[in-house]
Amino acid sequence: MKQPTAGGARRAVFAPVDNLARVEAVVHRLSDAIQLGLLADGEQLPGESELAGQLGVSTVTLREALMALRQQGLVITRRGRGGGSFVSLPETPGDERLRVRLRGWTTEELRDLGDHWAALSGAAARLAAERTEPDDLGQLRRTAEELAKAADTATRSRLYGRFHVELAAAAQSARLTREQVALQAEVGALLCLVLGDDEHREEVADRHRSVISAVQDGAHATAGTLAEECVRESTARLVAVRLTL
Amino acid sequence: MSSSPGLVGTAATAPPRDASADGGGTAPATVGTSREQRVVALVDGWLEAVFDAVAQTRADTAALLARVAAEGRRPATADLAALRPGLHLRLTRDELVSGVGFVAAPGLLTDVPAWLEWWQSTADGGVRPLLLDLDPAQSAYSDYTHWDWFALPRDTGRRAVAGPYVDYLCSDEYSLTLSAPVAVAGRFAGVAAADVYLRHFEGAVLPLLRELPGPARLVNARGRVAASADPARLAGSLTKGTDFQAVLEGGRPVAAGGLRLVPCRRVPLVLVVDGH
Repeated sequence: MKQPTAGGARRAVFAPVDNLARVEAVVHRLSDAIQLGLLADGEQLPGESELAGQLGVSTVTLREALMALRQQGLVITRRGRGGGSFVSLPETPGDERLRVRLRGWTTEELRDLGDHWAALSGAAARLAAERTEPDDLGQLRRTAEELAKAADTATRSRLYGRFHVELAAAAQSARLTREQVALQAEVGALLCLVLGDDEHREEVADRHRSVISAVQDGAHATAGTLAEECVRESTARLVAVRLTL
Repeated sequence: MSSSPGLVGTAATAPPRDASADGGGTAPATVGTSREQRVVALVDGWLEAVFDAVAQTRADTAALLARVAAEGRRPATADLAALRPGLHLRLTRDELVSGVGFVAAPGLLTDVPAWLEWWQSTADGGVRPLLLDLDPAQSAYSDYTHWDWFALPRDTGRRAVAGPYVDYLCSDEYSLTLSAPVAVAGRFAGVAAADVYLRHFEGAVLPLLRELPGPARLVNARGRVAASADPARLAGSLTKGTDFQAVLEGGRPVAAGGLRLVPCRRVPLVLVVDGH
């Protein structure tokens, strides 16, 4: 007879959806929008109850999120007549904003992120080695070469992410690709913090080229290991930066 | 850029062959049974219907761009809104079509560097526009000109079938994209295209494949499996060691290594049946 399993895992399933997770989701959504320029500097945000309604969260959650955004310097709130919450693009350079964001990650979370990423890219590289023919490698080659030439760190991090998305697509797996796209949306910007270093950029570009060669040769195991090593090295560098903050 | 001519519908302009001719010539009499011929004829017909949607989009777009040119101006995104009623109709009319539209060649439009006037069907039967971030300063995916569905019609001037491939630009789906070039006054202006999701394609094709006596699958010109009733050779895998492009160009069933290879007549897919 089937007995319900006891213990923490089961309790977690039926636990109320964590309010903190919602606060974080709202903070991420708004800070990304501000940093991408979708919300302009000085723009007034809708009133609290309207904004909470639009985002589908309680006003309590929204207030906590706005408080976090104020602490990051992305929103300022003025009281009184003509008051409200306004978008504020800080004068600090992008790197500083990214460090603030990285501070929101613990080293354990970064380690776990690296594990997830390595699992995705390693599996993708192995499958791609089975399912790819030379004509399919054009996009990966182009991305590896563009990365080797890219000057600014934002472009480097976007190309880095694109390589891993293309690798998942070369595996012919829509699921791995979707997961990789979601993961890159989360980690992509943070990679700017380690890709500014030309030496690491070179290293990544070289590793990407070796992954392509292994995939082309149909060397599944090698392709998987190389892709995992590449991801692990970048995550380790990210952890190292986090430890200095 | 990948530019395998193998993906182009090489037989697109050839008249349909008489099925009775298939038993003759160099092929053994057992090659290409009537049931197999029926499968490829149906697959041909379904994908031709999708190509009809592409052809209508191409004609609408070419007429629209010609009209704008006749007014002595260059087109903008607002002009392409006139394509929408036709695109919506095609999405609702053909069950296999899950996305359809016109993809402008970079530089065609005055107000944006690049643009997809692209519409997709939603799970609840509605339609929605695809809105992509095509700003190269923000998105690593802003350049779409190297994708097979764009590059093949541009480079060959002919219609093409791209895929199966994971479409992480538009749909996040494992897809086939059928496309054709749009020209204005002889100049390439972009492509008209339609998406077929592999899961829908398999839904249509699998009952046919299962009726065949041996394990059967459909592969593209590069040997990539597009739909399969063979558990050992599923969609996405590669069938190596056979020149499927040559089979498509030959236009008639052949036997090779215990396999029967039956080409579709008008689309670049080959039915592979295990003869053992």
